[in-house]
Amino acid sequence: MIEWLADNWFKIVIPVLVFLASYVVGLWLRRVVGNLLERWTAKTRWEGSQIVARTARRPFLLWFLLLGICIAIQVSVLPPEVKSMTVKATGSLFVLSFGWVVIVLSRELLTLNLFQGRMKGANKPSIALAINLIRVTVIVIGVLIVLDIWGLPISPLLLLIGVAVLVAALAFRDAAPNFFAGFRLGTTQQIKVGDYIKVETGEEGYVTEISWSNTHIKALDESTILIPNSRLLRGTVINYGRPLKKAKEPFRFVSRTDLTELTGLKARNLRELVEVLKTAPDAVVYYHTHHFLEQHHYLTPEPSNDFAIWVGDALGDEVLGERLASVDTFGFPNLGTLRERLVAIIEEYLSSGSNFREAMPGREFHFMKSVSVILPTPYVAHDLREFVEALRKISLGSFYFHVFESRLRLGRGLNDFSIWLQDSSGESELGEEIARLDPYTYTLEGLRSALIQLIEKRIK
Amino acid sequence: MRVSDYEPIVGRSAIEELRLLAAKLSGKVIQMINSTFVGGGVAEILSRMIPLLGQLGVDARWNVIKGNEEFFQVTKKFHNALHGRQETVTEKDFAVFLETTQKNIEEMELYGDILFVHDPQPVGLIASRSSVIASRRRSNPQKWLWRCHIDLSHPNEEVWNFLQPFVVQYDASVFSAPAFSRELPMRQFLISPSIDPLSDKNKELPQQTIDSVLTKYTIPKDKPIITQVSRFDYLKDPVGVIQAFELVRKSIDCRLVFAGGTASDDPESDKVLAEVRQRAGNNPDIHILLIPPGSDIEINALQRASSVIVQKSHREGFGLTVTEALWKAKPVVASAVGGIPLQVKNRFTGLLSYGIEGTAYAIRQLLTNPQYASRLGENGREHVRYNFLITRHLRDYLLLFLALEHPEDIIRL
Repeated sequence: MIEWLADNWFKIVIPVLVFLASYVVGLWLRRVVGNLLERWTAKTRWEGSQIVARTARRPFLLWFLLLGICIAIQVSVLPPEVKSMTVKATGSLFVLSFGWVVIVLSRELLTLNLFQGRMKGANKPSIALAINLIRVTVIVIGVLIVLDIWGLPISPLLLLIGVAVLVAALAFRDAAPNFFAGFRLGTTQQIKVGDYIKVETGEEGYVTEISWSNTHIKALDESTILIPNSRLLRGTVINYGRPLKKAKEPFRFVSRTDLTELTGLKARNLRELVEVLKTAPDAVVYYHTHHFLEQHHYLTPEPSNDFAIWVGDALGDEVLGERLASVDTFGFPNLGTLRERLVAIIEEYLSSGSNFREAMPGREFHFMKSVSVILPTPYVAHDLREFVEALRKISLGSFYFHVFESRLRLGRGLNDFSIWLQDSSGESELGEEIARLDPYTYTLEGLRSALIQLIEKRIK
Repeated sequence: MRVSDYEPIVGRSAIEELRLLAAKLSGKVIQMINSTFVGGGVAEILSRMIPLLGQLGVDARWNVIKGNEEFFQVTKKFHNALHGRQETVTEKDFAVFLETTQKNIEEMELYGDILFVHDPQPVGLIASRSSVIASRRRSNPQKWLWRCHIDLSHPNEEVWNFLQPFVVQYDASVFSAPAFSRELPMRQFLISPSIDPLSDKNKELPQQTIDSVLTKYTIPKDKPIITQVSRFDYLKDPVGVIQAFELVRKSIDCRLVFAGGTASDDPESDKVLAEVRQRAGNNPDIHILLIPPGSDIEINALQRASSVIVQKSHREGFGLTVTEALWKAKPVVASAVGGIPLQVKNRFTGLLSYGIEGTAYAIRQLLTNPQYASRLGENGREHVRYNFLITRHLRDYLLLFLALEHPEDIIRL
């Protein structure tokens, strides 16, 4: 043995020297490349550069060790079969390690993208799916190359992969556009979790999640709407941006509709009118001073209260009609005080002995009352953005209830919107501004527009 | 028709509201009862409403009472008498009414949670109330509603006194106009009738159809057309309409179209038609048209071809011809009778008049001020959109059913 070593020492030393030289060169090159990468990462603002540098540096030495082993065996006197086997083995190890680097790099870069946008959960499934896809692709390619290196037949495997890809493509042909759209939404940050969006097809609300297929939004009725990601990229989307300050309590819109009940009471002249008016239920006073607002809400100027119209038209007394019409309903906090004012005007007029006319048969004043039915609506607002968007959507009955009926008939003193803005939203100034508007001088749609403008101005 | 077909006309929120209300009636059976499945305004509106209620998820069913010819002759007399017409009603008539009512009580199944009885013919079914409750031992007693489509302001007292004991047993009654009601010891609601904007009488028509109808009746389009649509009846004052037209014609070149039919149960109508024709004489600008029943498209076309629609009635029910005209955005001049003042708010959605001169003056105002006329017409259309379409009628019925369980003025559902 010693004799053999003495005769062939160079056959061992040379491969060992070649291997050591490769190791030293590898160490030196790693330092050089490492320094270059460090300078590059210092210059560039891209956060991913550090990941690239760190990941590329890690396997450098391993690759040179493999190179060293490969060259050392080649220069050795080992049999050709061993040399061939070594090339295949080191080549295979290199392919696998390179694949591992690609997988790690892609995972870290994609994860960086996820958190860079402070998306917290946004697009997570989409990114995870992309990472897994890359991982599978790299492993498959790596395995194919390794098989090829070892001279094994890869055609059956390629065929199998082809069929699998085709089946997958068919199965996911509808999902693919949504997947890529979701990926794009995540990378471009056009739409983020927390944004309030309005899609041209009518859906709107806050984005709660962007999955690999759909974007989830919380609608104004607190339901969750799933919109395919590709639709968001194809269509027009208005993005109002981040959520506004949340109210302490949400505003729950209700709707109101009414039925008219006949009281059977009627008046032919002013004396009868005032006597019934004094004792009629509040629902009667409310009906005759407000039903025009709903029934003729499209008219500008809107007609006045029923008493004024009847006195003018049926009794032909335009002077008293004008006096009754000019009663400023907005100035009264409740129906009792409004009734007192109307009675006082008529009694004062009667005391002057001005009017003893009778209405023609068939033109008597019929006292009616309003039976209000209050219904829940699905609309709920947690902040000003949701509030203004709901305001655009609610029925006129709902709008009417919150502005007119709750203030005067329910005796809240202020409209519901102002109360919520002041008490729950911390928007006292806006609440006061809305409370100052005299709703009786607008059409319902006109008033709705005025309120929307005021709130939009505040949001901007 | 589907409920959703009305959404483009009345808006999404109105339809959503119907669905919300209908959901609150889940589990209730509404039984509508009248005297006929075909013919007449009640049958027409029920035939449209029942399917729509069903689509909204309300279990509404429709039954009719049975009666022989003699019974329906008696109820026709009652109908006219309640409207204030002179009728001779005998004891035998009352006996026929009671006998048929008793027969129906014995034969009809009165199964509804809410029994909605229309008009006087089936009003006596309420007499079965106590026995039905006893026999069924219902946990929730049935609610009975009486829907009166008749103007009861000046009824024949004898007939009213006969029917009143039945009426007062109902839980609530419903009238079409405040003036039609009477003092009754139960809740009374005001629910106006309605028109269907998608029916032949009210749907949009192509100009070609309008022109072809004018050609059919040889009405040239060379002058503004003033139209009254009503049957030939003294109460519709057709001669007064011609007189008003002649006053207008002195200063404005225009045409008058009086389109109507005669009623088989009204022997006077032929006489009125003859008088109207005689009064019109050979005036080529006056077109007296006898339109056969069911000519809804033709009536629609004539209304749409008109510049002004007149309804110069001495007495009127609700006046649905006025509703139809307003829906077509036509300026209307109408008498302040019956349900017309609910529809025509003077100077806002049309003009009210009281005499021939006043009617002529109002027509002149509209013909010489087309912008003003157009504004009134548009206002009138909006007024009908929100208050007199079938969707509002449906809503009121749903509210009525719900209100039966809630005596308060503010109901929270």
